[in-house]
Amino acid sequence: MKKIRVLIAKPGLDGHDRGALVIAQALRDYGMEVIYTGLRQTPQQIVAAAIQEDVDAIGLSCLSGAHNELFPEIVSLLEQREAGDIIVVGGGVIPWEDIPFLESKGIQKVFTPGTPTKDTAIFIEKAVYERDGIDQSVKEPPKKIDHIGIAVSSLEEALPFYVNQLHLKLEAIEEVVSEGVKVAFLKIGESRIELLEPIGDSSPIATFISKRGEGIHHIALAADQIEDRLRELSKNGVKLIHETPVKGAGGANIAFLHPKSAGGVLYELCSKVTKEAE
Amino acid sequence: MTTEKKDFQTQFEEWKALTEKLIEKFPEKKEAFKTSSGIDIARLGHPESLDEDYMEKLGLPGQYPYTRGIQPTMYRGRTWTMRQYAGFGSAEETNRRFRYLLEQGQTGLSVAFDLPTQIGYDSDDLMAKGEVGKVGVAIDSLDDMEALLRDIPLDKVSTSMTINAPASVLLAMYIVVAEKQGVSQAQISGTIQNDILKEYIARGTYIFPPKPSMRLITDIFAYCAEHVPRWNTISISGYHIREAGSTAAQELAFTIANGIAYVDAAIEAGLKVDDFAPRLAFFFNGHNQFLEEVAKFRAARRIWAKIMKERYGAKKPKSLQLRFHTQVAGSTLTAQQPDNNIVRVTIQALAAVLGGTQSLHTNAKDEALALPTEDSARIALRTQQIIANESGVTDTVDPLGGSYFIENLTDQLEGYVFEYIRKIDDMGGAVSAVEQGYMQREIHQAAYETQKKIESGEEVVVGMNRYKLEDEPKPELHRIDPELQRKQIEKLETLRSKRDQRRVSARLEELRAGSKGTSNLMPLIINCVRDYCTVGEICGILREEFGEYTGI
Repeated sequence: MKKIRVLIAKPGLDGHDRGALVIAQALRDYGMEVIYTGLRQTPQQIVAAAIQEDVDAIGLSCLSGAHNELFPEIVSLLEQREAGDIIVVGGGVIPWEDIPFLESKGIQKVFTPGTPTKDTAIFIEKAVYERDGIDQSVKEPPKKIDHIGIAVSSLEEALPFYVNQLHLKLEAIEEVVSEGVKVAFLKIGESRIELLEPIGDSSPIATFISKRGEGIHHIALAADQIEDRLRELSKNGVKLIHETPVKGAGGANIAFLHPKSAGGVLYELCSKVTKEAE
Repeated sequence: MTTEKKDFQTQFEEWKALTEKLIEKFPEKKEAFKTSSGIDIARLGHPESLDEDYMEKLGLPGQYPYTRGIQPTMYRGRTWTMRQYAGFGSAEETNRRFRYLLEQGQTGLSVAFDLPTQIGYDSDDLMAKGEVGKVGVAIDSLDDMEALLRDIPLDKVSTSMTINAPASVLLAMYIVVAEKQGVSQAQISGTIQNDILKEYIARGTYIFPPKPSMRLITDIFAYCAEHVPRWNTISISGYHIREAGSTAAQELAFTIANGIAYVDAAIEAGLKVDDFAPRLAFFFNGHNQFLEEVAKFRAARRIWAKIMKERYGAKKPKSLQLRFHTQVAGSTLTAQQPDNNIVRVTIQALAAVLGGTQSLHTNAKDEALALPTEDSARIALRTQQIIANESGVTDTVDPLGGSYFIENLTDQLEGYVFEYIRKIDDMGGAVSAVEQGYMQREIHQAAYETQKKIESGEEVVVGMNRYKLEDEPKPELHRIDPELQRKQIEKLETLRSKRDQRRVSARLEELRAGSKGTSNLMPLIINCVRDYCTVGEICGILREEFGEYTGI
């Protein structure tokens, strides 16, 4: 697939280019080709550079407060020069109340301070693929088995076998109130065993145990882009328990697929956020 | 050994006597300083006996190498100058904010100019579109400057102006406005930033290439040494280097390397080091890591004193003293949960105070979103007033001096700085390092590392990557009058039709002639502003003669 080309531009007289330089580097690291204009570019210069460099998208950075004048002018010049298909996004010190105005003028997205650079990269990538009608389906397989969930009536009774007989290391015990479970993680190689104890009778684990007894409950696959995967699975007729990700143990984004579509196995997709970033 | 020991003791006794004498002339704020428990607070904490190591590294406050501060009594004598950077919209509006801040107990002014002014364009220039009055006040001519300073007594208030490439023009305007108020140029006091090297490195408001820019700077040094003796002719700034993403050590190293370049340029222009060095000032960032920041300020003083003494043979104590302004770190402010920024600002400001700053700007909590409102600007000022009046940290000099950790950090930072300076010397000095993009690359690398750490969560930013809130309330923000550019252009048109056009052209041609030669440009620029030549016209002539810097 061709590399996405992005022009990072500093319209106006503002000299603060830390953000522009950081985002340029981050987009490069994400796999895009990035051209940086340097400081003090007029809208005309930016549009000319974008057309000459044949870019897919322009990222504008402005911290001086001139965004309401300069950003829309760039969009309208692009349209005049029949380059309206170039995606324009912006960032900087932009008051929240200006964002609807900018969006109404054709700025596709305004990224405010604190936005992770990866979010910006993913946004641009999606917008470009959508515009070009490129299939955005996820072809990457899940990375590994994240954990195997085992339903137990009592952690206290189950744990000694794992810790004392198998000599696995107990990493953490945590309650996930929303799912009605108390879980214990035991590390094994790259994966984990997750023991699930029901909290209360309405817990899905309680139902599971009363119907089928203790034992293997689910298999969790580590995967990113969960939302895209769910959308695609659903489109292809796979039944889902969660249409969109929910928060699971350890702050991970998780979603369950329905066993009816998976030969009787309950699969979970999970995407861990880094521990520190919780 | 015993004789040496006695020597240090004698030095200490002499310092005490000198300090007592000084106090007779400039009394401390109280007769006696006590804690809540009635414990006497000593002016200076020190080891029982002063040895060679102590005297060499720390010394006594007000004495070489000034690690512990540049005055013997520091804040017991006088609190730092509370100087809040402000400016927006029209000269009239900013004048109102200045008078408000003075009424609220601020003790010095600090002018923020809009970008067209900082880059030498008039408000009606095509390049100025959208930028007029946005990040500061729009000044086109003496007319605006008179409105900006109306009813402010320029013999009493000191004014700092964040202006670099066109620093001569704005200083010239200030001199002429003072003159019209009946205040001579020998009486006025203040600072111009006038630090072009960090503009190439980090801040971006350059106009001319390095060589003529350095000439404009040394012309100011020479003119002020003779005529405006109370003016700080440059504020050598690490602030923006740090904001662009450098580490504390890089901030210190690059700032001091730039300082060396200015001293070299002035000496090359024929000035004597002790004539201009006392008016060199510095401007640092007050950042997050509290203890490292305190050590940074202390290391800065020691390094500069050593360089001025050993490298340049400066003799006057004032040439050796590094005086600095601090602004707390704008880049650490979060747009999320902006009230948290008040706490960040407090900690950063406290580091500057414990580091012995001469003046301080505390940021407003909403600066990641917009320019401050009157409310947020007041809270920012109150923050330093609380440190000054309530915390008690001002009652003793250099309270953290002697802490093993602080002294060790101070020494290590000094080591890093001298290493960088050697490297920059090898590259041919700061001007040449800037031209090669060396500092820019170092800073960018550090900035990117920081960003990655924040995104991975290794570096915690409260409210942004941890302890987040869903659906934050949207704060009230300061808005700039969208009609301002139009009004400013009208004002400019009126001025152009009113003034004596022949005189304007004559003054500008005199400036052109001067810029081709080697004579000092300051008097020529003063003549230009007196006859109402605009910032854009003056810089326009210099652009034609000097060329423009276009980045690397």
